[in-house]
This record gives sequence, C-alpha cells and structure tokens, in this order.
Amino acid sequence: MVFNTGAALLDAIVLAVVSHDAEGTYGYKITQDVRQAIEISESTLYPVLRRLQKDGCLETYDMEYAGRNRRYYRITEAGTAQLNLYTGEWKIYSEKISRLFEGSEKQ
Amino acid sequence: MSRKEFMERLEKLLRDISDSEREEALQYYNDYFDDAGAENEAEVLKELVSPEQVAQKIKAGLSDTDSEYSEQGYRDVRFERKDGELSAGASADSSAGGKQPKARKKETNFWKVLAIILICILVAPVILPIFLGIFLVVIGVALALVVFLAGILVSGLAVLISGIFVIGIGIAQIFAAPAIGIALTGTGCILAALGIVLSAVILWCCIKAVPWLIRGIVRIISYPFRKAGAK
Repeated sequence: MVFNTGAALLDAIVLAVVSHDAEGTYGYKITQDVRQAIEISESTLYPVLRRLQKDGCLETYDMEYAGRNRRYYRITEAGTAQLNLYTGEWKIYSEKISRLFEGSEKQ
Repeated sequence: MSRKEFMERLEKLLRDISDSEREEALQYYNDYFDDAGAENEAEVLKELVSPEQVAQKIKAGLSDTDSEYSEQGYRDVRFERKDGELSAGASADSSAGGKQPKARKKETNFWKVLAIILICILVAPVILPIFLGIFLVVIGVALALVVFLAGILVSGLAVLISGIFVIGIGIAQIFAAPAIGIALTGTGCILAALGIVLSAVILWCCIKAVPWLIRGIVRIISYPFRKAGAK
C-alpha cells in the first residue's frame, strides 16, 4: 500500500485487534492480526502496546500457558471509549475521502 | 545470532532504562519467541533485524515522539539516515539533523574563498616583503653553508698538498740531516692524512647535504602553493 499509517491509526488498529478477544490476547498474535491489514515490522508493536498500556487503554496480566507465563493484553474501558472515538472518526474520514474519489471519477 | 544471543544483547542494550521497563520489554520478546515457535526463530530474528534496532525502538517509545508507520515498515524521523538504514549501536539522538549541514557547506565555501581573497589583497603589502625576506634569508643561509663547506674543503686540500710537499722536503733532507728529515717526513705524513680525512668528510657532507638542502629549500618555497592547491 502506498499510504502511510499514522500513529493514531495504528493505535486504533491495535485497540481493535485486542478488543476482538474479550479474554485478552498476546504479543505474537496481535502482530499477526495487525499484519493482516498493514505491513509492520515485528519490533514496531511493542512500543505501541507499551504506550497504550501506560495511557490506560490496555491492561496486562500473566497467565500460564504451556508451562510458562505468557503476558496477555486486554482492552480497558478507557481503551474501548478511545476505540469508539477512533472508529467514529475513521468512518467520517473514510467516507469523505471515498466521496471525493468517486466524485472525481464521475466528471 | 541465536535467540539467546539476541536476548542477552538486548538486555545489555537496555541497561540504561528502568528495571521495570527492561523486564517488560524482555518479557514481551521472550514471549514473542516462544509463541513464534522454535521453527520460526530464524525468521523472527531476521525480521527484528538487530538487538540494536529493537532497543532503539523501545527507547524511542519511552521518550514518545513523532513516529510514522508506512507500508515499507516503521519510520521514525529520528532514525532516518542518508541510506535509510539504521546503523547498529548508534544512539537515537546523534542522527538528528544529520542532513542539514551538507547543503550549508557549499554555501559557506563561496564566502570563505571570497574572504580569503580579500584578506590576501589587504595583507599583501605586509606579507609579500616578509615572504621575500624569509626567502632571501633561506637563500643566504644556504649560500653561506655552501661557501663554508667549500672553504673547509679547500683548506683540507691545502693541508693535504702541504703535507705531500713536507714529505718531499723531509726525504730530501734525510741524507743531509737524518733526524730533521725523518721528523719532516713524519709531519708530512700526518698533514697528508689530516688533509685526506678533512677533504673526504667535506665531500661526503656535500654529497649528502646538498640534495637535502635543495629539497628543503624547494619545500619551503612551494609550501604556500601546495596549501592553496590542497583546498
């Protein structure tokens, strides 16, 4: 894709991905899921997750999995509110852009 | 690099952040390797590029500044380099504004040259006589040295010749007055030897010293020109 993904959009994508699992999800899976939409390197996601966690949008907990402790990420209430804001904004933004593109096509 | 080496290196690189941040990050990447599975280890290592790059991103995330994610991957203005690559081990701050001075250099070069020319014109009446003076002094000293050496050479030859002459007189006197004759012959031998040694030393000095002297003078004279050429 030729378009850049801004920090806000990446936050939104990550929040959306994490929100899909009510039980929470883990780093590797988040990376794989985010990669279905956009290409990002494996080292990109950690700082984003950490920031969202500090902002109170995500919370973490450790759970045993296959004999080790795995860190899980879960969306918080604040995170859900933030995600709703993002998706609302995205809807308006993308519709405007789409309308503009289609309008220029008709001419 | 193996996973173990990667994690050890990462831990070292993260030494300067807080304990909790470091543990958090290390836990994440340990999990990541575990979840990717041993069979994907090589691929994950390749994707992560280097512990240096991962550490830089972790630290950049802590200081929280503008960053952008493009389809080519993660972009962070502080990491941008001429070749668009991260150099291992470089600190995040050192690359800031790395491109700017280059364009500016060309501009200042013109003014620099102009200033040098102006200064040259202004100081020429003072500098030129000084250079001329220095030049003449160098020539004078060189000439004096040459004449001095020549003088010693001539005196050495004179001693040699007088020595031979005294030997001749000594031999002639041997039959008339044997004691004086032998003494004169001996003195003549000593004088001749001294003359030979003196002449030889001076000749050797000339052979060695003259080319060196000429080279030295040439170097001193050409110094300002070479400097100008090197710019």
